[in-house]
Amino acid sequence: MRALLSVYEARYPREAEFVVGYVGADVPVELITAAGALPVRLAGDPDGDLSAGDTYLGRGLDPMARSVLARLLAGDYGRLDKLVVSRDCEASLRLFYAVRELRRIEPAFGLPEVYLVDVLHLPHRTTTAYNLARLEQFRQRLRDWTGRPVSDADLAAAIASHDEQRALLSSLAAARREGRIAGSDWLAVVGAGTVLPVAAHLSLLRELSTVDLPEHAGKRVFLTGSSHDTPHVYRALESAGHLIVGEDHDWGDLWYRRRVDGHTLLALAERYQYNGPTAQRSTVDERRALIAEGMRHAELLIGYARRGDEAPPWDFAGHEGLFYERQDYGRIAL
Amino acid sequence: MSVTPSVAEEAKRYQREWFRGLRARVAGGEPFAVVNADAPQEILRAMDFPYVVSQWWASIIAAKQRSRDYLDLVRERGYPDYTEQYNSVVLGSAFDPDPAGGPWGGLPRPTLLLGDATGDVTRRIFDVWAHEPGVAFYPLESAAENEVPTNWWELMPYRWEEAVGATRLDLLEAELEGLVRFLESTTGRVFSEARFREVLALVNEQQEWNLRTRDLIARTRPAPLPVSDTIPGVMVPQWHRGTEWGRDMARAFHDEVAARVAAGDAVCPEERLRLMWIGRGLWHDMGLYRRFEQSHGAVFVWSMYLAIAADGYRRYGGRPLRQLAARFAAFTDQLYMPPWAGAWYVKEARLHGVDGVVHLVSDDPRGSWFTTRALRDAGFPVFELRADNVDASAGYDGGAALGEWLDATF
Repeated sequence: MRALLSVYEARYPREAEFVVGYVGADVPVELITAAGALPVRLAGDPDGDLSAGDTYLGRGLDPMARSVLARLLAGDYGRLDKLVVSRDCEASLRLFYAVRELRRIEPAFGLPEVYLVDVLHLPHRTTTAYNLARLEQFRQRLRDWTGRPVSDADLAAAIASHDEQRALLSSLAAARREGRIAGSDWLAVVGAGTVLPVAAHLSLLRELSTVDLPEHAGKRVFLTGSSHDTPHVYRALESAGHLIVGEDHDWGDLWYRRRVDGHTLLALAERYQYNGPTAQRSTVDERRALIAEGMRHAELLIGYARRGDEAPPWDFAGHEGLFYERQDYGRIAL
Repeated sequence: MSVTPSVAEEAKRYQREWFRGLRARVAGGEPFAVVNADAPQEILRAMDFPYVVSQWWASIIAAKQRSRDYLDLVRERGYPDYTEQYNSVVLGSAFDPDPAGGPWGGLPRPTLLLGDATGDVTRRIFDVWAHEPGVAFYPLESAAENEVPTNWWELMPYRWEEAVGATRLDLLEAELEGLVRFLESTTGRVFSEARFREVLALVNEQQEWNLRTRDLIARTRPAPLPVSDTIPGVMVPQWHRGTEWGRDMARAFHDEVAARVAAGDAVCPEERLRLMWIGRGLWHDMGLYRRFEQSHGAVFVWSMYLAIAADGYRRYGGRPLRQLAARFAAFTDQLYMPPWAGAWYVKEARLHGVDGVVHLVSDDPRGSWFTTRALRDAGFPVFELRADNVDASAGYDGGAALGEWLDATF
């Protein structure tokens, strides 16, 4: 656990030969791994200066994205050879447009080349065909970047590794649901996998699987709402006596919930199409089912929505629990 | 001198009459759709399927000062009243316990909702609405492209495949195929390909008249009519595009503007400043557009409504459904995505010879900074007016700061 926490807290930079920074859990990391590059997911910093992000993206947008842009401009992420952005939420799309345009009109800023992987989520075969075309285009772009094609064998191996990562996390999540891993630590267990090479993360997860973990005290909470790219809010809730045993955002349980269970680009396209359901890319009914599933292991539902993250409050209707809307980034007014 | 053009008045009169007729058709058992402005309505038109555009209904709600009432109804159901208010107010009107007490006798209960999954909330709003009995929601994806040529307004009419990109067009064309089959199966109505082609041709003809009107206004000094008249003059027919009435009103609007130009009519004979309004219409205070004529000789000569009608809709050639897909697969990008939006606004500012720009900046995620930057780089002074276009309570100062900016800048 200490090693995972240390990797998570030391974000960034990571050393590698070719680092692809990415924004949003809709980026198919398997393709980046298969291309021989290191995918590194970019997190914001609630304690950092958001002003540059505010300038270019406006204050109405999710501050997490504003923070990522501010950190990109400040060079906080260390080595970034390329940047890949997904369409996991409107803020990410706006971030993509901003970086693309700033590279054009402000080349002195030195922002990395940015690429959009436009994975969409309606549950229809028309969307599958679109996503497959987008993943094939991304595969070609990776070949252009690295100088070598991503073979079917490379892809199958990468999918197998990332699926094993998901399987191990799912297995460890059972211990977490029993209260033997605190929510803030769970963010680190998962989050370490967003910056480490998949093999290194697998090794640490296997090690953790062998440890006898003590049970934590606290009222068991399922947390719905905005995603948490840092542990600030989790720690505040833990300080108030809560033990977060599950959540419905993709820096936590939704990051590994769905596996590819296949080895082709089409299987990968369907995995990302149906992954989630996140608040920003699903229906209220889908989220209600997810909350009901999570509440099987919890005593209390807490809803948290960041100011500027507009989708989550639509999920709060009709539930019993504690709800915090329009919260400042990384803060909760308990 | 300022004279209200008769086309704008006729459009408003027709709209009320049409809405009464629509209510009667729905009361008689016909299906009825609420559609998003960026969704392909031409399919419904070809099938004679009655519909209302949600943004138009939101503008009526705001003009009748009912936005807060309807947002309160959204809140009473446990949903937020502060997200995507342009669509939320329309959802709120569906929750009205006294629907007949709404504007214009109230919006009938729809049987179909048609919208694209723009942003994070639009799909959720329509999805919540579809929980009401008898309401079905047909969502369309909203897709984006990596690399796009900047001069979209030159490419779109004929080279739309190049401007939009094949991958997005493949998606929307396939979704529209599905929509046609869905409507045929669920309503028993016929989709005639011949009729559909007529509708597409009528839309292009209508926008060709708007193009002529836009160009005429752009080159006329002083401005022959205020934007508060061009907006209803162009938008009410726009909601009826694909009909002969819509096409004929666009032509009548052009002829009326031409007559006013020939007669030397002017909004403000002492015109000293030509202003451009960027953003949605300020529906709760349309008087703002005329407020600075006497004091500053400042006339708003441009809003996106006529300009986007001129440049944003025309599509020719190709398979008909794909041609329609090309109209909408990147529609929002034309207005809000850098570099498309900024480059187009600069082109329009130059075409209209504006002296300054008033840019409505709301708390929603649009490419505001890049638009302002593009205009300033091109030498146009820009005032960013902070307000919401439907919610008057959202910090709007009534234009006080704009007046100060005009004093200080010109």
